[in-house]
Amino acid sequence: MGSKAKGQKKTNEKTSILSPFKAIKYLFKKPKTLRYPFEKKEPSPRLRGFHLNDWDECTGCGNCADICPNEAITMVEIPEIEVEPGKKNERPKIDYGRCCYCGLCVDVCPTDSLRLSKDYLHIHFDPKTFTSFAKDEKSDSEHFLPEEEYSIFKANLNHRKQNSDGFVSDLKYSLFEPERVKMPYVPADERKLSFIEQVIGYSKEEAIMEASRCLECKLCEDACPAHLKISDYIKAIHEDEPEESLKKIFEDNPIPSICGRICMKHCEDACSLSIRGEPVAIRWLKRYAADQVDDFQKALRQKPAESTGKKVAVIGAGSGGLSVAYFLTLKGHKVVIFDSLPGGGGMMRIGPPVYRLPTASIDKDVDYIASLGVEFRFNTTVGEDITFEDILEEYDATYLGIGATLSRSTKVKNADKCMLGLDFLKENKIGEGVKVGKETIVIGGGNVAMDVARESLRLQHIQHPNEKTVTKTVSLENWNEMPATEEEIEDSKAEGIEFNPAWGPKEVVLDDKGKVKGLLCKKVKKVFDKQGRFSPEFYEEKTTLLEGDMIIEAIGQGPDFSFIPKQLMNKLEFTERRKVKVDEGGQTSIPGVFAGGDIVNLNLDAVTAIADAKVATEGIDKLLKKTKR
Amino acid sequence: MNESLKKKIESDFKTSVEILEKNRWTTTVKKDQVLDVLRFLRNKGFDHLALISCVDWIKEGEFELIYILSSYLAGKERLHLILKTRISRKKPEFETIIPIFENAEPYEREIHELFGINFNGHPRLEHLLLDRDYEIPPFRKDFDTRKYVKETFESIKPVEEEK
Amino acid sequence: MTERELEMYFGPQHMGMVGNFSITLNVEGDRILKAKANPGYLHRGFEKLMELRTWIQNFPLVCRVNVIEPHSMEMVYAMAVEKLAGIKVPSRAEYIRTLTLELSRLASHLFGCWAYANMLGFDTIAQWAMYHRDLVLDLFEDLTGGRVYPIYIWPGGVRRDLPDGFKEKALNTLHEIGGKIPDYDATFFNNRLFYNRAKGIGRISRKEAKNLGGTGQVLRGTGVKFDIRKVDPYSAYDKVDFEIPTREDGDAYSRIWVIRDEMIQSVHIVMQCLEKMPSGKVYNRVPNPFKWKIPKGETYVRVESSRGELGLYMISNGGDKPYRVHFRTPSYPHGLTILEKMLVGESVADVGNIMMSLYVVAPEIDR
Repeated sequence: MGSKAKGQKKTNEKTSILSPFKAIKYLFKKPKTLRYPFEKKEPSPRLRGFHLNDWDECTGCGNCADICPNEAITMVEIPEIEVEPGKKNERPKIDYGRCCYCGLCVDVCPTDSLRLSKDYLHIHFDPKTFTSFAKDEKSDSEHFLPEEEYSIFKANLNHRKQNSDGFVSDLKYSLFEPERVKMPYVPADERKLSFIEQVIGYSKEEAIMEASRCLECKLCEDACPAHLKISDYIKAIHEDEPEESLKKIFEDNPIPSICGRICMKHCEDACSLSIRGEPVAIRWLKRYAADQVDDFQKALRQKPAESTGKKVAVIGAGSGGLSVAYFLTLKGHKVVIFDSLPGGGGMMRIGPPVYRLPTASIDKDVDYIASLGVEFRFNTTVGEDITFEDILEEYDATYLGIGATLSRSTKVKNADKCMLGLDFLKENKIGEGVKVGKETIVIGGGNVAMDVARESLRLQHIQHPNEKTVTKTVSLENWNEMPATEEEIEDSKAEGIEFNPAWGPKEVVLDDKGKVKGLLCKKVKKVFDKQGRFSPEFYEEKTTLLEGDMIIEAIGQGPDFSFIPKQLMNKLEFTERRKVKVDEGGQTSIPGVFAGGDIVNLNLDAVTAIADAKVATEGIDKLLKKTKR
Repeated sequence: MNESLKKKIESDFKTSVEILEKNRWTTTVKKDQVLDVLRFLRNKGFDHLALISCVDWIKEGEFELIYILSSYLAGKERLHLILKTRISRKKPEFETIIPIFENAEPYEREIHELFGINFNGHPRLEHLLLDRDYEIPPFRKDFDTRKYVKETFESIKPVEEEK
Repeated sequence: MTERELEMYFGPQHMGMVGNFSITLNVEGDRILKAKANPGYLHRGFEKLMELRTWIQNFPLVCRVNVIEPHSMEMVYAMAVEKLAGIKVPSRAEYIRTLTLELSRLASHLFGCWAYANMLGFDTIAQWAMYHRDLVLDLFEDLTGGRVYPIYIWPGGVRRDLPDGFKEKALNTLHEIGGKIPDYDATFFNNRLFYNRAKGIGRISRKEAKNLGGTGQVLRGTGVKFDIRKVDPYSAYDKVDFEIPTREDGDAYSRIWVIRDEMIQSVHIVMQCLEKMPSGKVYNRVPNPFKWKIPKGETYVRVESSRGELGLYMISNGGDKPYRVHFRTPSYPHGLTILEKMLVGESVADVGNIMMSLYVVAPEIDR
């Protein structure tokens, strides 16, 4: 190799020494070079330059900082921004010495607030300016200038053009999956004929696929009132370890089979993916974990701590009562729960119908809590079978988890011919059953009213088969104000329930035999006053008669304090919203008596009762450590 | 034709040839068989040595040397044979294959430098990519990159700004 | 070393060198007796860095291995991950990938023309080639958002669809470049001075090229029709028509003519892709980047980059990061073994000529 072969020429190659002179013609043509900066080149619409971030849309989830391959983004706390559930007050700060302008942060941003612009010039003496907060013209009108005022001679991270979006996020190409794995439901036509459970549940492949959508940003953990470790238990499901997942859930929530069916899912409303897609199905995954594990005891292997010798009484076996019993038992105290129903669950045993919460699921959770050493005294009504003063005497502390058990009535004329909502549900679930008419009217627009209406529909199909039956609801609130959840309203509509929003009950009309003929309703002007308080106003002359042979009232519930003797009742302090006042340890104004749940908080759901129970557990534990018996 | 080749390799060298996917075969042989297998394959027409690579299996305490062979000949050019062998991690040593494939020289130099494996018979085992010796050869799994950065670069004081 | 021998350094700063690479020469007068290549100025440790980042975080890192033709690096990484994870790519994405790779080949060859012509002293055509490469980079800016580092071909397809008006703009650019080929020929490729400078320099025989691991133009300049796009087709290459140019002599002149012919073939392929492109989606979503684990396995994939056979050997251990990544770059055998053998007996003035015609890119050797 390497010897030069001189003069060897192939015959078909035409080389010439004069042909290069053809290039002289270019001497007289216009040069193609751009005279920058006087002649500028317009950057393309997809150029990847510096970052832009809309601070109103940004939730501070931190996904951009997690995915950056160069660790160029840090999330910094901004004290001026308010913290809300589902939003953090952190915003991304970007180090342009590290950023490689790849745009992965844009593709993973769930809210489409982080974008890349068409600017790419920054000239400055101070190297500290190369690290800056990403902002845009909405949050920083001082440095983002319109086209006329912008000058390329001063190009800088603090001297940028408005409306210069470059590489933006597109839902078709995003790195997260916006669509949820559909939960299989029994179709409406089939399920309205019986009390079969509506939700079928995820299979293993579906659960793993749904769990793989979670971006681990933990906004849900802040929004959950009980602060469950959600992203950890979803990760365990993704790795096909439902027992590990259950262990994580039980650190904060001892009733997963119940909550996995009826929780109000504050977490899913805060999920990052809910902004431009469907949130991760956190509740259904909890249900999956609780259903996959048959034997809770074998999987969890929890042992209560050494016995402290102290006894605590809990009144009410609802979600608050069960949780405080679970947490106190693990700390070593002896707990006895009193409840007037024949089984555990409290309001959840008699409230949600069987197609939403089967009794077997309630018993699965209650049996596990009983196996840890909690003593249940069912069919024991405090105030009748045992007095409140005896309980205060015998036990070192008491927890009131009595819930709201008394239905309210509209008290219109002939309202005594109507049935109360909670009594209707209770009779059907644990009593003899109720005979329904062929045209039932349900007064109310909340979740309990929906439960009552759908139960009545099913009973009508069972008790009057092949006949024309209808269930109607009438509520003060119009569609946009109805307090029931959207999915309840949609499911009810699918089953054929007729809604009559924005009508108020005026009078129950009876026929000559004294039986219910219908409900006379008056048109609602408005429901809430300027401060948002409940104060309805009507057009008294505009009325309509809704026909029906049975009316059920489901307009709200209140607590039953009748078991508390008068002198203690005078000591019990209430807040201005008529809830029991508790301090930061959950203790009421009566020493030794703690409270939580529907009588204390305004959310009125199971998971907030669990949160109150956790607070009370710490308070009770502190008190019991101090007192000596 | 390919089937008979597979059977011959398996019978001659007492090893099993696994088919990863179409046109990608892999086989593991003992370290003293490697030169014989390579000579055999060269005679069968595998004359393109694409790559010599090395993997550090720290949990098993072994290095794995990988030879990827292919062919320029028509009819066989799609088939790749990935030949693997294991050597011990405590005393890493191996033979050079330069007598069989001439272009193995820089690959072996690189593996010597980055993993610390000694190739007996190699004419020129000097630095190829790095400029000095390191305590632990850098591509091994126990070389901690963050620790190296901290010790080397963050121990340098930043330049004082002139006011 | 005898009295008449002199040891001298050729580069890293030298007019005849592209990229940071140096050669130690032992010369006697004007003849070279021994050459030793010194790579390592651009060693960034990619293979170690890639073991510490997850599958999708590696994707912006990969294009930086070869600075001049980043698209083929991304392609080979995407192909390897798709093979290991079992992901399918939609057919419209295959055509867009082919289009991008061929445009990148065109840009890289124009860059090579600049480098070679500049080194020889033919500055006119060097500037023309740079200008035409700039037009191709404008197309990349419209399509991908980045001129040099596209960060566009990722596992699952491509990152965005073709923008509006891309087809017309691309056809205009290609017509402009194609229309200038007679001027290129007249000024450079048919120039007698180029013929005299390059004919017979850096000759390598067919047997030696195969022995020393040569691929790409080094091999095709000796008459072997070996091109991975025909031998082992990937992407949409089996659906378009093109030829593989070869030359017989194996010297620098043949290699540069092969490069010129390949540029014309690239233009044809891009036009065919724009005609035949099907409709549909361009991306099959990969799993969530924070939870993506690829099952155990290993694979070796290869593509034809503008310089030869580019391969990637990747092992996954069942986790969320690769266990071992090793790039087989074409400049590795060319720049180390073939260069050292080829330079013996040549004159010092031809060193740059031979280096450029071997079409070595220094960042590929060092990774």
